Amino acid sequence: MSTPFIEVKNLSKHFPIKGGFFSRQIASVKAVSDVSLKIQKGETLGLVGESGCGKSTLGRCIIRLIDVSAGQILLEGKDITQTKGEELRALRRKMQIIFQDPYSSLNPRMTVGKIIEEPLIIHKIGNSANDRRNRVKELIETVGLRKESIDRYPHEFSGGQRQRIGIARSLAVEPELIVCDEPVSALDVSIQAQVINLLMDLQQKLGLTYLFIAHDLKVVEHISNRVAVMYLGKVVELADADELYKNPRHPYTQALLSAIPVPKVGGHKMKRIILQGDVPSPVNPPSGCYFNPRCPIMSDECKTTDPILKNLGSNHEARCLKV
Amino acid sequence: MSSVVEVKNLVTSFKTQEGTFNAVDNVSFKVDAGKTLGIVGESGCGKSVTSLSIMGLIPMPPGKIESGEILFKGQNLLKLSQNEMRKIRGNKIGMIFQEPMTSLNPVFTIGNQIEEAIKLHQKELSSKQVREKAIDMLKLVGIPSPEKRIDDYPHQLSGGMRQRVMIAIALSCSPDLLIADEPTTALDVTIQAQILDLIKKLQRELNTAMILITHDLGVVAETCDDVAVMYAGKIVEYGTADQIFNRPLHPYTKGLLNSVPHFETGKRKTRLETIPGIVPSLANLPQGCRFFDRCTQSIEQCKVRQPELEKLEHNVACYNPVKQK
Ligand SMILES: Nc1ncnc2c1ncn2[C@@H]1O[C@H](COP(=O)(O)OP(=O)(O)OP(=O)(O)O)[C@@H](O)[C@H]1O
Ligand SMILES: Nc1ncnc2c1ncn2[C@@H]1O[C@H](COP(=O)(O)OP(=O)(O)OP(=O)(O)O)[C@@H](O)[C@H]1O
Ligand SMILES: [Mg+2]
Ligand SMILES: [Mg+2]
Repeated sequence: MSTPFIEVKNLSKHFPIKGGFFSRQIASVKAVSDVSLKIQKGETLGLVGESGCGKSTLGRCIIRLIDVSAGQILLEGKDITQTKGEELRALRRKMQIIFQDPYSSLNPRMTVGKIIEEPLIIHKIGNSANDRRNRVKELIETVGLRKESIDRYPHEFSGGQRQRIGIARSLAVEPELIVCDEPVSALDVSIQAQVINLLMDLQQKLGLTYLFIAHDLKVVEHISNRVAVMYLGKVVELADADELYKNPRHPYTQALLSAIPVPKVGGHKMKRIILQGDVPSPVNPPSGCYFNPRCPIMSDECKTTDPILKNLGSNHEARCLKV
Repeated sequence: MSSVVEVKNLVTSFKTQEGTFNAVDNVSFKVDAGKTLGIVGESGCGKSVTSLSIMGLIPMPPGKIESGEILFKGQNLLKLSQNEMRKIRGNKIGMIFQEPMTSLNPVFTIGNQIEEAIKLHQKELSSKQVREKAIDMLKLVGIPSPEKRIDDYPHQLSGGMRQRVMIAIALSCSPDLLIADEPTTALDVTIQAQILDLIKKLQRELNTAMILITHDLGVVAETCDDVAVMYAGKIVEYGTADQIFNRPLHPYTKGLLNSVPHFETGKRKTRLETIPGIVPSLANLPQGCRFFDRCTQSIEQCKVRQPELEKLEHNVACYNPVKQK
């Protein structure tokens, strides 16, 4: 296979927790532990998993918004883990993020036009203010907002409208990779469908590569070529989208799929696997398999042995002793 | 049965550069004790403004409640002073806001903020008891190692954890009415299922009325007794969950239900069904039906006059409703 667009090797990210009199480090949050994965050019890799399992952190590490604690990130084969200064700025133009939180990610004192124009100025795109303004207008229409929006402020928009402002901003610099961090969870289903269609169109037209983070498994299934499932900082299952949904092997993935609320009143419903037990903490992860305290098929060995990501053939990997 | 909250002909406007418009336009609904009303509709259609109006949290100016009544246990909230409203808010009416980051105070730890809410309603507790209760609440909403995380600041938490802190604060006061604006959007489905279960359990125990705003039609189908569908500031369809999901009458409702991606093999990476076009600007509304230019089954009359909510099988504002098979 050709060189992947992005390759992540054994990436870990720990955040210090400080406390006590001198604000010394007393513990750390192991947000991402030893994650390895590849994303091919033009591909969409879906990333799902429990809230707090490290999805956003992984996305932020990949596009170098935050530094990693260990491991490597390769962009088209080139190690970018330690890239700094001017070179890092050039990278930023290639890799953008659409943020999860459309509220705190937009500067409330800037008009929509200025917000979208800002990256154009930073990356010196467009010859004149007029050029840039035209480009901004184009972007605003691309994401389905009205042209008049250009001179309004973020607080005058609803959640979904703000999310589209964020998308327009990320598209401004014509990036090659976009980390979509919950890009549609604030949107109603019809706009959600529009944005997903938009993302897929842009991908086709511009050959974009996506890391697509979302909680809505139906959306992830729809847009992704492959899907990675994370639990407590680790990838526990990775497979082609069709395969993963038809044939989930890890008990966490199975629980996740069974918990999807169905937009149907009455009629037949899938039997739900309700997970028991407390959600473990990334500060103090359980021994053995991280999922064992909540796992319905757990046995003694799971408490002591941390399983590796096993290759199950046909591009399907799972991290479970029972598979 | 008497309703916990009854909204009658509510009109809330905003004054902007584009002019003054009604973000919520003549909206009426009611919620009984122990029942849940779901509000769904296109982004920007006025769902949050409706709930903020009930809470007395519309920024004025630019906002203004033009007319209508909001009866909470028979008392018109719009007649209360700021001070009286403050006593009801976060006490008899709890709210889970759509934006957890802006509604949590960044300079206080999450512990401070939950303790504050608990102290407001349970003045008899010692500070040690308050802290214990706060840790319990965090545990209840599924925050791992709550005794360690309680001293974190909001920015140290993941999106979903912040949302759970908000839920803990809203539930810590055992309200009569709980307004939940997208309470579980940032959560994965297993936690979502746990939290919805938790909310439902508390609702049964305390007979709380709930208004649930969400884009997730699956959550609506599983949680709500009644559903109001809003479009451009108006309720266009209002009925039981069964009626809305199984026998939708408004073409917009039908379009919404069709836009949901389904698990279908072979359908992956194909375009999803959408409702073409965009909502009209609230500052520049058409004379007739607001859905007119996006509607697939409009008739002459739709362009001329705005349809009012009328009782057919259930309430719908449409001159040419979807035919039932
Ligand atoms: N700046 C930070 N300081 C300390 N801890 C952090 C920081 N950022 C993230 N964390 C912790 O790292 C873990 C992973 O967080 P992350 O935001 O990556 O989760 P996530 O999978 O994106 O969750 P969600 O689905 O809720 O957005 C969490 O326990 C979080 O509290
Ligand atoms: N402070 C404000 N100033 C001006 N306009 C506002 C203000 N707050 C809301 N609006 C407008 O009122 C309308 C309704 O907004 P609201 O936040 O209720 O939408 P919503 O239905 O909750 O959407 P979403 O699903 O995206 O959260 C929108 O068109 C919005 O632009
Ligand atoms: Mg996140
Ligand atoms: Mg809203």
